[in-house]
This record gives sequence, C-alpha cells and structure tokens, in this order.
Amino acid sequence: MGAVVRLAMVLARRDRWILAVWILGIAGLGFVTSIAVAGQFGNEDERAAIISVAAASPAFLFLRGLPDGTGIGAVVFFQVYSSTAVLAGLMSTFLVVRHTRADEELGRSELIGSAPVPRVAPLAATLLVGACANLVLAGSVTAGFAAAGLPVSGSLVAGGAVGAVGLFFVAAAAVVAQVMPSGRSANGVAAGLVGAAYLVRGIGAALGTPDADMMHVKAAWPSLFSPIGWGQRSRPFSSADPVPLLVLAAAALVLAAAAVLVRNRRDLGASVLHDRYGKERAGAGGASFVGLAWRLQRSTLAGWCLAAATIGAVAGGLAPLVRDALAGNRSLKELIGRLVPGGQADVVDLLTTALLGIAGVLAAAAGIQAVLRLRAEEAEGRAELLLAVPASRARWLAGTLAIAALSVTAVATTAGTAAAVGLGLSGAGNSQGGLIVAAALAHVPAAAVFAAVTSLAFAVVPRLSSALAWGFLAVGLILGQFGELLGLPLWLQDMSPFRHSSAMPAEPFDPDGALTLTVSALAGAALAAFLIRRRDLTA
Amino acid sequence: MHTGSPPVIETTRLAKNFGRTTALAGLDLSVRTGEVHGFLGPNGAGKSTTLRILLGLIRPTSGTARVFNLDPWMDPARAHRDVAYVPGDVSLWPNLSGGEVIDLLTGLRGGADERLRRELVDEFDFDPRRKARTYSKGNRQKAALIAAFARPARLYLLDEPSAGLDPVMDSVFRRQVQRVSGDGATVLLSSHILSEVEQLCDRVTIIRSGTAVESGTLAELRHLTRTRFRFTAATDPAVLAALPGVHDLHSDGTGTEFDADAADLGPVLEGLAAAGVTDITAAPPSLEELFMRHYTESDHAVPNGEVR
Repeated sequence: MGAVVRLAMVLARRDRWILAVWILGIAGLGFVTSIAVAGQFGNEDERAAIISVAAASPAFLFLRGLPDGTGIGAVVFFQVYSSTAVLAGLMSTFLVVRHTRADEELGRSELIGSAPVPRVAPLAATLLVGACANLVLAGSVTAGFAAAGLPVSGSLVAGGAVGAVGLFFVAAAAVVAQVMPSGRSANGVAAGLVGAAYLVRGIGAALGTPDADMMHVKAAWPSLFSPIGWGQRSRPFSSADPVPLLVLAAAALVLAAAAVLVRNRRDLGASVLHDRYGKERAGAGGASFVGLAWRLQRSTLAGWCLAAATIGAVAGGLAPLVRDALAGNRSLKELIGRLVPGGQADVVDLLTTALLGIAGVLAAAAGIQAVLRLRAEEAEGRAELLLAVPASRARWLAGTLAIAALSVTAVATTAGTAAAVGLGLSGAGNSQGGLIVAAALAHVPAAAVFAAVTSLAFAVVPRLSSALAWGFLAVGLILGQFGELLGLPLWLQDMSPFRHSSAMPAEPFDPDGALTLTVSALAGAALAAFLIRRRDLTA
Repeated sequence: MHTGSPPVIETTRLAKNFGRTTALAGLDLSVRTGEVHGFLGPNGAGKSTTLRILLGLIRPTSGTARVFNLDPWMDPARAHRDVAYVPGDVSLWPNLSGGEVIDLLTGLRGGADERLRRELVDEFDFDPRRKARTYSKGNRQKAALIAAFARPARLYLLDEPSAGLDPVMDSVFRRQVQRVSGDGATVLLSSHILSEVEQLCDRVTIIRSGTAVESGTLAELRHLTRTRFRFTAATDPAVLAALPGVHDLHSDGTGTEFDADAADLGPVLEGLAAAGVTDITAAPPSLEELFMRHYTESDHAVPNGEVR
C-alpha cells in the first residue's frame, strides 16, 4: 500500500499542471454559465420561455440535457451539465491511459515492475490519482456553482454528478487500457466511450417525454445506458437525489476491480487485442511522405469516420421519432412555430443541423489530430530519420496536411451520407439527400482552419502545438455553444471558425463565410510550410 | 588517401547553444573524401549535435558547416542527396513492420538496391515482418543500419551505430563499413567504443566539451602519447626519475613502472641500459589511454603532461 501511495504521488506530480488546467477549466465553465444565466434570464418568465422552447426542441435536448424546472440552478444544470460531464470523462480517460498503457508501451512500467512492488501497483496508483482528481473536480465544480450564487446543497450534488461521471470513466479507461495494445489506440477507444455516453444520453433526452407545462422532460430508456445520463438523473437543483451517483460509483468499483484482475493475470506488455506481425514489404506509396502519413493515419481515420457515421445515423434514426412525437401533439407544434428561431424551420431540419454541427467539430478534431502526428514524430525522434533524406521539410509538412484535409473531408462526408441515408430510409424531413451531404460538407472549411492553425503552431512553437491546437478547439466550441448565452462581444464570438460555417439545412449556404474560411486555412498552411524551415528540430 | 580533393565535411569554429547550455564551442572538423573518420567523445561531448548540424536538422549558433561543399541548413535536400544516416537513438513507427520501415527510409532516398537489401536482412538476421513496437533496441538499430546500407551513398553519418548490437552483429556492421569504404564512400563514425574506431578508422577526431581536442591519423595520435615500461633493475631505479619525459615512476614488490613521452624515448632507453635492466616489457600506447587521458585530465592540466 505504501508503494501505491508513493507511486501515486509521483503520478500526481507529473500531472499537476495538466490536471489543474482541466479542473479549473471545467469548474470555470460551470461558474461563468451560472453567472450568465443569472444575468440574462434574471426573472422567472424569461427562464420559463427558454425552458419551454428547449423542451419542445429535440435538437436542444440532444445537445444540452433535460429541462428540470425554472430555477436558476436547474437552467444552469440543463445548459452546462453535459459539456462538463464530457470534459470530466475525457480528463479521466487521458489521465488513466497516460499512466497505464502508454507507460507500458514506452517501457517505463518495466522499470517500476522491477522494483519490489506488487504487479498491480502502477494501475492501483493510477486509479487512486484518478479518484482523487475527480474528488477535487467535484469540489471545484461545487465551489464554482456556489460562488455564482446557486444553492449550496444543489451545487454539491451537481459537482458530485460531474465527479461521478469522471470516476466512472477512470475505471472504464482502466479496463480499456488492459484490452488495447497501444496508448494511442487505448486513448481512441476510451474517448470514443465518452462520446458514445454523450450520444446515448442525447438520444434518451431527444426521445424524452415533456410534461404538460413543458417545464420538465423525462428521459427515455436509452439514457439508462449512459453514465452521463445517470449523472443527469440526480436532478441537483429540483429534487436532488444522490442515488444515481452511487450507482455510478458502484459501476466504477466493479470496472476497476475487473481491470485489476486482468492486470494481475496478464504479462507486461500483453493485450487482449494485439498485432504482432505486419507486412514484410511496404505497399505501393509506402515510400513517400504522403504514403507514410496515410499509413499512420488510416486506422485512426477509420475510428473518426465510425464516430461520424454514428452521429449521422442518429440524425437519420431520431428524425421519424421526433416527427411522430410532434404529429401527436398539436400544442407543441404551435409552440415551436412561435418560439424556435427562424420560425418556419422544420424540426427535423433543426435536429439534423445540430447533429451535423457536432460532426463538424469531429472533423476539426480529426484534422488537428492528423497534424499533431508531426509533433509526435519530431518529439519521439522519428523526424530525425525522415529529414535526413533528400527532401525538404515543406514536403514533409505538405504530405501530412494533405492527409489532414482528406481526414476532415472524409469525416464530414461520412456523417452527411449516413444522415442522408437514414433520413431517406425513414422518409422524415423535407431536405433532399444531396442537401444533407452538402450541409455536412459546409463544415469542412471551418474544420480545415483548425488543421491549418495546428500546423502553424507546430511550425513556430512545436512544444506548445498540442496544447494550443486542442485549446483552440475548446475555445471555438465554447464560443460557439455558449458565446451568446455568456453575452460575449461579437468580435470575440467571431474568433471561432465554427461561427462562419453555414448551419445547413436549417439556414441557407453562406458562400462568403466558406470562402473566408478556405482562404484562411490555405494561407495558414502556406505560412506554416514557409516557417517550418526556420527552426531547429526540437525533442 | 585522396588528400588532394576538398573535404567532404568541413566545420569551422562551429558553435551551438541550447538556451544557456553550450553543446558545441568552436568545433573544427575536417573529413576527407574516402576516409573512415572516427568521431570520439564521451556522452554529452557534442557528437550528436554535430551530426544534426551536418544534416541541417538544427542551425549552428555561429561558425560554418559544409557537407559536399553545401550549407546543410540552407540547402538540406541537396546536401542529403548522397547521405545515409543512422541516429544514435533509433525510434521507429510502432505500427509499421521492420520491412515497411526499411522500404520507407530507402524509398525516400530513391529506392533500395534489392540484392543488397536481401543480403543485409539475411546477414543481420533481421525479421522484417514484426511490428516495430515489438523490436528491442538492437533490432531497431538493425533496421536503421539495413536502411542506411541498402542503398549506396557517398557519405555515411553513423551516430554510435553499434550500441545495442551483439558481438556477432557488430562484426557484420564492421564488414559493411569496410565494404562501403572500399567502394570509395566517406564514413563519419561517432563512437565511444575504442576498439571499433581502432579497427575501422583512418583518422580520428576527439571531441570534449564541444571542441576538438585532438585530430589526426591513429599513428599521429599515438605519437603524442606515452609508452609504458615495466622493468626490474639491479641499481636503484630512482635515477631514471631525473630523466626528461619520464612520468609516474613507481615501484612495487616485483618491479618498477613508468610512462615515457614518445619524443624522449632515446634518452630513456639509454638510461634504462645504464641501470642494468634484468627484465623489461614495453607496451604500446593504446587509444584507450589516449582517450582516458583526454577525459580524466582536468581543464587546468598542462597539455604536454607535466602535471598528472
């Protein structure tokens, strides 16, 4: 036990800055949202109006959460809970994989395993650090809500809900780390689980049944299969109930025990899924920068496309259910006609637009991730081998940027096609299939800007490129999702590339925005190709 | 040696700082066409930094570096046209097989010589089907060596290439260096393994704390060093201590030992003859000694060895 605590102290020291950023970021998001809601929707009538709009709009329910009355706390929780829960999940999965499978792959675990400590000590230490991080997170989120003036008891349950979701994903990622062969694949699968939890919760919420006064929505059954959905059931600011959080904690305990059991029985470095042998010779194109970039990115791209197809399929699958629910509810239909921005926009179109917007974020993330491979190549010493050949750095960069552009386009196309096929099969919605695919592709220019900015960061400040790129995406998302709610100035909101994408099919295509974004992306990439020549290779 | 042609590698007062750390402090290095040049120095002396500058991966803080009479920083693609490189710490793509890595690295240089590639895979006893993730340090090293030797180059830059190889593989590596050298290629071999350098290299540059402390052929360098004598004599050996060029004279129960400077061997031998020697051994200076002398002496020591 002493060894576990000692190791945990080392892990905590390694992570102190990155965890501080995650925790303060998540708690800060809760705090500013609370301030914004209290400021913008100060009186009950305003809150009732926005809640009833939300309750009537499956797109809103999908993205945000379940309306739970008109108290300030309830509105805040509705707005911000899902986002904070997703962030808590990602914080936890990255934390766990970093100290388990990734360390094992890099050979650090071997060094620790040679010391007189139990075999499971590194895993146990990781679980301990994960649990403590989420405890601190729960406390910080609670403090953020309470500092913004929300009731303390409700804040406590809300903080607990975010922490409990994080705790669940600590344990889930520990299991994933036992199964997957590499840190990268383990991170991909674990983050995919967080995304799936968000989607499943969203489906449960979108299919939920509003009560008569449109102030509460009861989640449908799919929500039971999502840890984020369970956290939502605690309803902190109306009828607080900690039991769902205890369910999450119990599930985490079971998963953690399973991970420990597997770790104790397997060899160091062994995994349930593994790939020992590859091809003896490189295939066609395997001896070029583009070929290498494709070879490195292709399986990851398949993962991104799978996620995009899921989102598209959700759009297609939810549409008829949403339409039917509305068909049977006249008053609801009237309400939407009155309240939803744009007036006559079709409810199915709105849902499709919202989901394709998420696909756009996914495309941007795929682009960023593809470009950041360059940094991994450099930091892990492989760029040194590559750049000792008679070819310029600009060509090396260009090869990866081409694959990044391909990734962005492939993710958007997959989401659009899946949505178009789903909508076509179900016969819901008024939009043509081609228009749906075009709607997905409308997000490509904005997503490409993220890839270009990442390459620029890599060319100028390589060591910060990962933090800057993902930070830019987070800021872009928060500005896009919460910018108006927070009452941020327009110029600041306009910093987010997503703001300049056309929200098709609910809104028409805006060629100016697309052109500006495309030109920005190309200019950024060209500048990166120029600047990459001017710096030392740095580990 | 083709001493008439211009050097393949020429650095002049090459310096590189990383923040406050000085990695190179005015290195002069000259590698002639067709020679195998040993680049000796302890860890942290600046060997890898030099090679990275020669490849144009990092930019010198001051001084100049020329490879094939080109500036590798300004024109890396042209300077690399006939260069094969093996880094000191080989890191490969975990999800590529060894064969794919070799094809990638040779392909980027214009494609492997298929016959050579086959022979090398065979000689190095390398399994090209395994994923690089599963390779040991030695196997990663082999992949980089095969990729470097599988396509003929005019200059081979090898950074401690035999680290991690077992003795059998090490001899395969030496044969390859001798082969490419026989074909007229130039090799710069950084190392701290002295036997390797003694066996392979025509000339040696010794680098310490970022500057070259010694450079020349092995014969020239030996000339600078001392011969160790061990003898037993009838008379008191202490008289020898008065002779110039004698160092570290000491006796134990069975005999007396001292080191003599190469320049003063004549008078020393006369002195020994006069002392009535009954038994004597004289050991040639090994590179090892030369090396140790440069690393163990403090900076304040007088270069000709008055102080030890």
